[in-house]
Amino acid sequence: MNQDATLAPRGPQLVAPAGGRLVYGSLAVAFLLGLLPWPGQWRWLIPDFSFIVLLYWNIHAPHRAGLGLACGLGLLTDAARGVLFGLHGLVYVLAAFAALSVRRRLENFLPPGQALQLAPLFLAKELAVLLLGLAAGQTVIDWWTLAAGPMAALLWLPVCLLLHRLAGRPSAAPAAATQDK
Amino acid sequence: MARGRPDPWTWAPSIMATNAQAPMFVRVMGLPVRLSLYVLLCLLLMTVDARFDVLHQVRAGLTAVLHPLQNQLARPFRYLQEAFEFFRVHGELLREVHRLQAERRELLLKLQDRELLQAENAHLRTLLDLDAPPGYRAIAVEIVQTLANPFARKVVVNRGSRHGVSPGWPVVDAYGLVGQVTRVYPFSSEVSLITSPEQDVPVQVLRNGLRLLVSGEGQDRLLQVRFLDMHADLQTGDILVTSGLDGHYPAGIPVARVLVTEPPRHSPFARALCLPLAGVGKQRQLVILQRMPDGIQAPEARP
Repeated sequence: MNQDATLAPRGPQLVAPAGGRLVYGSLAVAFLLGLLPWPGQWRWLIPDFSFIVLLYWNIHAPHRAGLGLACGLGLLTDAARGVLFGLHGLVYVLAAFAALSVRRRLENFLPPGQALQLAPLFLAKELAVLLLGLAAGQTVIDWWTLAAGPMAALLWLPVCLLLHRLAGRPSAAPAAATQDK
Repeated sequence: MARGRPDPWTWAPSIMATNAQAPMFVRVMGLPVRLSLYVLLCLLLMTVDARFDVLHQVRAGLTAVLHPLQNQLARPFRYLQEAFEFFRVHGELLREVHRLQAERRELLLKLQDRELLQAENAHLRTLLDLDAPPGYRAIAVEIVQTLANPFARKVVVNRGSRHGVSPGWPVVDAYGLVGQVTRVYPFSSEVSLITSPEQDVPVQVLRNGLRLLVSGEGQDRLLQVRFLDMHADLQTGDILVTSGLDGHYPAGIPVARVLVTEPPRHSPFARALCLPLAGVGKQRQLVILQRMPDGIQAPEARP
């Protein structure tokens, strides 16, 4: 046992790419979570669960979750929230593009670091939805819904913990940290 | 991502993932190209949805699946809520019974007065050959969901076009006007509350018959009369009822009580803040008023 450990090659643990069932299943669960009857007076504080999970898979399984999935999910969200068609679609696609372009860097951080770097993206998403609504001719806007952005960043940690475990990733150390030793 | 070294996962997604012998040269559109295509598609959809009524069918199809799903998801929470509600309501009911008994005695006294007036009223109507007030039928509905729409106050109720609901019908509760049906799907419909900023209701002051427009402010507890003449005879405590002039709302539904009138400050118009009389945002059971064809309810006693 001890001998095996010394003989075994040292290096970052390889992770199998996430399966389609896990990716689409977790997205569906997150979407249903958003449909739950949240109390009306706290609705502005409830983050967009499916958006968080979408970004997670954009970063960790880009071969499954690309721009097309982001667009489809956004259109579905538009239908569920009763806003202009394509509004969330556009925002999701832009956010997915941003996440895909920085995913290599983000993969080297622990979940708290990722949450800190993704917080502006979450906030920008809420802001973009409101500004697009403003541009589309809505006059009165509930600015409190911006608070869902920081909430989503906070929720990034438990989401990472859960999905890391489900995908069979080591949740403690990122690849770069083990490589340095 | 390292600059100048494209990342195979993001730049060639489908081929690397599925094909065991990946081709040496990847022929997939680059990420920025795909991004601009999707952005173009979404912008097109937004324009089409904003300008034309084409996408309503798509939306109706999607919501026909989503809203029943939502209903099922909400069910366990509703049972839980009802269990808590039971204990809270029990005490309230006892108090309510005592209050109602006292109120009933008062009402019986008033009723005698009212019956007299009603008989007189019917007599006067036939004399004047006035049209009877148009008949309405009540459809009891329940709020399924409050929409997370930051631009308007809307709720989804559990009756749709399959139950005979059409857009434009008024929605009331026991205390007054709540809103108007704005979108109808097969098994559900969207109701815009009167507190929604874009919702205007033509009303009349009960005291002196002054006609006004009441609009929402985006808050549950507040309505406003926006363009009020600074000399208009409107006082704190006045009751506003629907005037029935728009052809959508029947006349005489209570809408709001005036809280305060503000003199003009930054604009040439005064403004009045009102309190909605209906439990907007509180009640779960509502009633949609369905307009009946005039022939059914018209009085047969015409001179």
